[in-house]
Parts: sequence; C-alpha cells; structure tokens
Amino acid sequence: MFIHNLKYSFKTLLKNKMLIFWTFAFPIILGTFFKMAFSNIENSEKLDIIDIAIVENDEFKNNEIFKETFKELSDDNNEEKLFDIQYVNEEEAKELLNNDEITGYLIIKDEPNIVVNTSGINETILKYVTEEITQTQSMIENVAQNKVEEKVKDIVAGKIQFTSYEEIYKQIYDEIVDMLDKNNANISNISSSNLSYTMIEFYTLIAMACLYGGILGLVAINQNLPNMSNNGKRVAMSPTPKYKVILSSVLASYIIQLIGIALLFIYTIFALKVDYGTNLPLIVLLACAGCLAGLSMGVAIASVFKTNDNLKTGIVISFTMFGCFLSGMMGITMKYIVDKNLPLVNKLNPASMITDGFYSLYYYDTLDRFYFNLISLLAFASLMIVISILSLRRQKYDNI
Amino acid sequence: MKNVIEVKNLTKEYKKLKAVDNLTFDVYEGEILGLLGPNGSGKSTTINCILSLLNFSDGSIKIFGKEMKPNAYDLKREIGVVFQDVAIFDELSVYDNIDYFCGLYIKDKEARKSCIEDAIALVGLEDFKKFYPKQLSGGLLRRLNIACGIAHKPKLIFLDEPTVAVDPQSRNNILDGIEKLRNNGATIVYTTHYMEEVEILCDRVIILDKGKIIASGTTDELKELAKIEEKVSVEVKDLDEKYIEDIKDLDNVEDVDYSNGLLLITYKKGKNNLVELMDYLKKESIKYNKIFSERPTLNDVFLELTGKELRD
Repeated sequence: MFIHNLKYSFKTLLKNKMLIFWTFAFPIILGTFFKMAFSNIENSEKLDIIDIAIVENDEFKNNEIFKETFKELSDDNNEEKLFDIQYVNEEEAKELLNNDEITGYLIIKDEPNIVVNTSGINETILKYVTEEITQTQSMIENVAQNKVEEKVKDIVAGKIQFTSYEEIYKQIYDEIVDMLDKNNANISNISSSNLSYTMIEFYTLIAMACLYGGILGLVAINQNLPNMSNNGKRVAMSPTPKYKVILSSVLASYIIQLIGIALLFIYTIFALKVDYGTNLPLIVLLACAGCLAGLSMGVAIASVFKTNDNLKTGIVISFTMFGCFLSGMMGITMKYIVDKNLPLVNKLNPASMITDGFYSLYYYDTLDRFYFNLISLLAFASLMIVISILSLRRQKYDNI
Repeated sequence: MKNVIEVKNLTKEYKKLKAVDNLTFDVYEGEILGLLGPNGSGKSTTINCILSLLNFSDGSIKIFGKEMKPNAYDLKREIGVVFQDVAIFDELSVYDNIDYFCGLYIKDKEARKSCIEDAIALVGLEDFKKFYPKQLSGGLLRRLNIACGIAHKPKLIFLDEPTVAVDPQSRNNILDGIEKLRNNGATIVYTTHYMEEVEILCDRVIILDKGKIIASGTTDELKELAKIEEKVSVEVKDLDEKYIEDIKDLDNVEDVDYSNGLLLITYKKGKNNLVELMDYLKKESIKYNKIFSERPTLNDVFLELTGKELRD
C-alpha cells in the first residue's frame, strides 16, 4: 500500500501545474532575473572603495590585530583593497560622518564599535569585517593562552626540552603569526570582489525554493484528510491506515522537492555560472535540511489551519516570501537591520537559517556557524513535525 | 433478515442545532434503503456519522454486528462509499483514478485489474479509460466517482446523492448500475432528494426532515399515509366556474384547482373516480385535449407530513 500510494502521489504531484510552477519553474525564472539584474550592479560595485575613518586612540594603537588588518585592507598595493581610511580623533570622525564624507567609523573603547548613519551594503561590509576581526582576535587570544599553558605543561612533563624563554616564545609567536596570516587571508576574502550581490540573492533564492516545499507538503496533507478534501474522505474510508498514506505522500513530496532543488543548482551552476564555492556538498546538505524544514512547515500549516486550500497556499507563500525578505532577498541591508535590531527574528526564521548557513560557508573557515544553522533548521523541522503529528492524530471530526 | 447496519438513538449536534435527532433504524442484508429528504435534512450527516468520519453526540452504530470506529479497518474493507461531491484526482486518468482508490483496498495487482475492469463496465466508461477528468462531462464524472467507490466489490455501499446534476442518459446508466450491484448481493444505502429514484430503486425508504425520521416503510406503505388516493389532470380551455363547482360535488373529490388551462382534481380514497369524471365531461359536452390519472407520490406524502415540498 505504501509503494502504491507513493507511486500515485508522484503522479498527482508531478502533474499538478500549480505545484510544478512554484517548485520548479518559479525559482528558475527568478534566478534568471537575478542574474540579469544583479550582474550589472555587481560589476559597477566591484571597484568601489569604501571611505571610512578610524579613531586613532590608545586602544586602537595597542590593538595589533585591528591595526594590521585595516592597514592591509587599505593598502594601495593590495589588489583587493577595500577601504580608504582616515585616522582621526573621535570629534573629527563624527564630523566626517555628519558631512557624509565617510560610510562610518571604527572606534575601539572596551569593544570595537562601528558608527554609521544609514544602512547599506558599504555599512554591512564594514560591520562584517569588524565582526570578523573581533572573532579572530578572540580566537587568537584563546589560542595564545592555550599554547602557553600547553608549552609549560610539556616542559614540566619533560615532553619538550627547555632551551630558553626566547626559543619558546618564538615558537608560540610563529604559530600565532601563522594563524594571523591565515586569518588576514580570510578577511581579505571579504573584499568587494567576493562579497557578491548575486551570491547573496542566490542564497536567498535557494532558501525560497527550499521553503516552497511547504506547498508540496500542504497538498500532500490536504488530499489525504477527510476534513480538507473529498479525496481525503475517500482515503479515510479505506482500510489503509492514515499514517501510511500520509507518510508515503510526504515522502513523495520531499523527493520531488529535492529534484526541484537539484535542478535549480544545476541550472544556476551550469547555465547562470553561479559559483557556490568549494563547499558544494555542505551546501547541498543544508539545502536538504532546508527542504525538510519547508516541507514540514507546509505539513504543519495544512494540519493546524482548518481553512481552504487557497488560503493555506497563501499562508505558505506569504510566510516564505516574508522570511526571505527578512533574510535579504530584496536587499542585503534588510538582513543586517534584522540581525542588528531583532536578532531573535532571524534566529527563528528558516529562510535566514538557510541563507546564514550559506554565508557562513562562504565567509568563515570554521563550520561552527554552519552547523548551528543546520541544527536550527532540523530543530525547526522537528517542531513542525511534532505540531503536525499532534494535530493529525485526530480520527473523527466535528465538521467535514 | 440479517442486520447489516444497526443505528440506535443517533444524535449529532452542531452547537445548538440538532442536525441528526435521535435516529434509530436498521439496514437489512441485500436491500436498498433510501434515505429521502430535502437538502439539509441530515442525510449526509447521518451517513458521515455511520462511517465514523464525524463525531456524534449520542447513540451507537454497528456494522456487520461490530461497533464502527475510525480504525475498524476490517469493516472498512467491506464498505464502499460514493460521496455527494465528486472525489477524484484531476491529474489521473479514469483508469488510474480507479486503480489508485481500489489499490487502497486490494494489494494484488491482477485481482485489482479484474475489479477495475468490472467497475468500468458497470458504469459504462469503457471508451473513456485513458481520458482525464477535465475531458469528461458532468455525468461521466459522476460515473467515475461511483466506479472509484465500488471497484473493490464492497458488501455494503453508501451512495450519497450520486445522480445530482447529471444528464438523463448518465442517470439511467447509474440507476442500472445500482440495480446490478444489488443483484450481485450488495447492501445499499441510497440518499437522494429525487423521489422518482427512490420509487424505482429502494426496497424501503426512510424520510428525514430536520434530522428526524418522519416516516419509514416501503414506498407503498408510505403512500398509504397520504390522504389522497388519486390525482387527475385534464387539459381543458375556458372552463366556466359553474363546471368547477359541479366537479367539486362529485364523489371523493378532495380539491379542485384550475389554472392555465389545466384542471387538477385530487381525490380521497375511492374507486372509479376517473370514469365518473369523464362521464360528467361528456354529459356537459366539455371538450378536453388530454386527461390522465396519477397515484400519489412520495412528494405528496412529504407535503402532507411536513407542509412543504421535498425539493424546497
């Protein structure tokens, strides 16, 4: 019965024109438009150097990592030069900002702070760079502390021979400089040539395509519930248990959704020449989790809301589009604004989990943030599945 | 006779409205039981309660001697349902639609194939196997709807208004099919508001109004409930009031109505009413085109019991 229902679920879902449009055609059409629209913008933006100021106080002067990194990123000999920097005092920085002569300024007091007047791509770049340096600084400090402790332990345990303090410090210094060099390379990757509008749009596009799996989940549930459709009444009157029918329909939906995502990847990579970087397997893994999140969201909406098909489809599409909007589909600035002012919203927004997971793969060497987003998506999907099961357990209805 | 369905004191309430009010009835093996009533009388609600799709407030339901529950899969295997609204997949062909629903009951492909062919033949869709629903007329869709509900050869079949909005050819085909199902041994519960179908098909009839049983029995038994015995219609032009008054005085006449050239006379019980009327018309040299006599219909019974027409 499971295979029988799976087979016919495939047939009905694949022949449903509305579903095919939203699952297969719409993301591809939108991707084509993105490519056409954003490639020109990107080319014109690529050469932009951002004017910023840095408050040259004692904290900045004593912070080697910030000092060296910004020096590197504003070096005229650097092909990936990102900033034109004016080193000023705080009053002058404020004045420059008020006169719109700079995008923003960095001031290090207890912590590094970015001061900007508006939100935009340049402000976002400045923010990302500062965050990245802060993160790296923290990491290096931890590593340095650990390495010193390690060396002392090794010397006490006799694992390494104590020659001189100079020698030990040199070893630690070399290891940290090595790491710093690697990190500088990482930061320099966040240059105008790599922080691509198109990439960000394609991340949100994939997030949207994943979440549109909700429509497939919705249809799979609706056609099997007696209070949702006439076919559901017939299915409910059959001797096949409800869980079998629903599971096979949802599985068919998931497979179709994965096919849709695979086609989107193939089309964007080969036809639109989108470069997803070197982590394609992890990107695919995140997309699979995103599809599961989207599908389970549709299943939950279908199970919980007792209203007609069109309204439910509207809810899924609205939720998806709004989620993508907040995660930067209609402009990266929105993601920055939400991250800054309402961080919890994007932590709970599956579209943001997907796009942020992609960003983290692209921008960071470590996978911590990627796995955080992956686990968040799976947790979201699990929550949706639990809600659906609780709602679907009902066997009889007050109204049908 | 063996009971197939036993319904006792079934009550279904929607907030303050009693959609089904304390219904008690049995359905016997091999019969066609008609549930007759106007729209909103509780026919479909009763069926949905019997099928355990709807919660009900009170009462008990047994099918084949066992309590009907949503997970009574052994009972469901023996039941076929044709719902009032067409329940098919637009994306599947006629054959695939039947195969899909039949496959929920019968796992074996060969056995299923034979059942599907039988169902297609029963409803006369042999020439439309590869057609998609959007290519079918309303009547053919209804036939497909029936085939999907009965392909697995159930012992008990619920047909909920299967002939609503179909053309006469399809209606005849559907009614013939139902007769064949009964002849093959199925027990059928048939809901409709078309009294003609009930008179043709049903062994027994339950008349529902506002969720209550207002009468039950065979069609002849129900017609006995009517005060009138006969209705005579005469097409006659320009009939004087004097003649109408005379006709009212004839034996057994209950009521006389004359409008638009049609004289309608209803009689209480009695014999030779038509002969007496024709004698009178001949004696008075009243010329008429057509004259015909009718027995009371179930609609007359319903009208008499509730004061309204079945199709109100």
